[in-house]
Amino acid sequence: MDYLLHLIVYLGIYLIVALSLNLVVGYCGLLTLAHAGYYAIGAYAYAVISLTLGWDFIPAACAGAFLAAVLSLAVSLPSWRLRGDFFVLVSLAVQTLIASILYNWSSTAAPLGTWANLTNGPLGVTGIPGPTFFGVSVASPLSMAIFTVAISGVCALILWRLKISPWGRLLLVMRDDELAARGIGKNTRLAKVQAFAVSSAIVAIAGSLYAAHIHYLDPSSASLDDSILMLSMVIVGGMGNFRGPVVGACVLVLLPEILRFLELPNSQAASLRLLIYGVLLVLFMHIRPQGIAGNYRMK
Amino acid sequence: MQIFVNGLISGAAIALLAVAFQTVYLPTRVFFLGMAGIYSLAPFIALALFSFLHSWTFASIGAVTVCTLLSLALEWGNHARLSQRRASDGVQLVASLGIYIVLVQIIVMIWGNDVKTLPTGPDAVTQLGRFFITKAQWIITIVAIVLLGTFSAFLMRSNLGLRLRALADNPIQFALFGFNVTSHRLLAFALSGFFAAASSLVTANDIGFDPYTGLHAVLLAVVAVMIGGQSSFLGPVLGALLLGVIRAQVVWFSSARWQEAATFLLLAIFLMLRPQGLLQGKIRLEATQ
Repeated sequence: MDYLLHLIVYLGIYLIVALSLNLVVGYCGLLTLAHAGYYAIGAYAYAVISLTLGWDFIPAACAGAFLAAVLSLAVSLPSWRLRGDFFVLVSLAVQTLIASILYNWSSTAAPLGTWANLTNGPLGVTGIPGPTFFGVSVASPLSMAIFTVAISGVCALILWRLKISPWGRLLLVMRDDELAARGIGKNTRLAKVQAFAVSSAIVAIAGSLYAAHIHYLDPSSASLDDSILMLSMVIVGGMGNFRGPVVGACVLVLLPEILRFLELPNSQAASLRLLIYGVLLVLFMHIRPQGIAGNYRMK
Repeated sequence: MQIFVNGLISGAAIALLAVAFQTVYLPTRVFFLGMAGIYSLAPFIALALFSFLHSWTFASIGAVTVCTLLSLALEWGNHARLSQRRASDGVQLVASLGIYIVLVQIIVMIWGNDVKTLPTGPDAVTQLGRFFITKAQWIITIVAIVLLGTFSAFLMRSNLGLRLRALADNPIQFALFGFNVTSHRLLAFALSGFFAAASSLVTANDIGFDPYTGLHAVLLAVVAVMIGGQSSFLGPVLGALLLGVIRAQVVWFSSARWQEAATFLLLAIFLMLRPQGLLQGKIRLEATQ
């Protein structure tokens, strides 16, 4: 039963991740590989704030979301001038920078959370408290699953409202023909900054949930493999609509669980899981570039 | 000054890979991330062949041959087919990323995650004036000079090189003149696989290797391309040498752990202030896409 609840928590977290990434990749048409970086920023912000200041989940996660939104300028500003491969490269550079900072902003001489030791480097952060909601601890697996479903529902609702709003339609116009959007007087640069800020803030909340659930964090949570997994969810599920990322998150979270029944060694299972992601990416690009349930083909 | 020389030599290895990337990117516009998988694979193949052949020369030739054939197979089986369907650059990139993941995971499943070295014996050090240069560094330098010099002569002097440049310049006009785009694309991929494998082997001989070195190395190569100039076959060589020197200085003045941050900060600065690179006239970056 605990395994099933753990799976629900993971599904909820990756649902938020996929939906938030879809805002940038599916609605704005900007392929980014920096999403795991902002996920890790949210996770680290929650871990450090809750451990050092003792804040509840909501204010700590909101602080992480705000930080991620501000730092999203590192990706959104280059998107003013760059599209295609070069934008992907910049996003990869941002991802590497974030991972590098998480690895290196540490000192064994200083306690965690100080200016000299903000992330504890490769040793990671241990003993991260589980979420507390207005003073009530969300400790049991069942309450954590309910809490995650509630948070992911709120995030999905926010993204859904944004999608059907005039701002959401502006993103679609900008994706299909940016010049036309500018021609009718829309500020596409501002829209890109806003889209990245919202996307990064929401994925930071998913990161906070992850840190609160696992109670341990190290810089590998900002690895390129994680960014690839996130991108795979959106690409395999489908871009440019709401159901695609939901399908992608379900498929890519649940598919590797089947490997457990093969009783492979852990290292082989992890490699096989990544191998499946790679094969899926290639196959979908050949057979169905818009994904299982998507309606937008990547430019 | 020793640090400067070390930087130049590591820049030479990056230059080989940057040329490998550019050889595919310019004629085909394919952001060939699969090359990172080929880069990772080359030393493992060499190590496996060495156990049969007991000669590093033959093992290296075998590894380069296998990687060249693999690169051809990736073009034939993946990128060419996507191009025939008029797939977008993004689709090509994602498919290439998928290939990279598949290759790396196959390596991990066969040979494991560990860092390995090519056991070619003790690394002798020679003194050249005030500089100390190891045998592995000599190999990098000589291989880079020979291969880049030959490639430069091939591009500038031979008909095939001229056609490759023409394809890079305007693929549609190239096809209208009756040249076979498919075979020239295959040539570009073969050259890319060859250069990637050569770069990988000389680097592995110097600092060792593991299954994940490929993507990082290719990213450095792409940064070199951005610094050197995106529309030139040989501009990235200058970018790579500059990058090598800067990375060596970062290690000397700060710490090796800030090398990546410095590299990508440099990339960000170039993209913002001089997106056309060092060896190119001023253009709008959008015009190249």
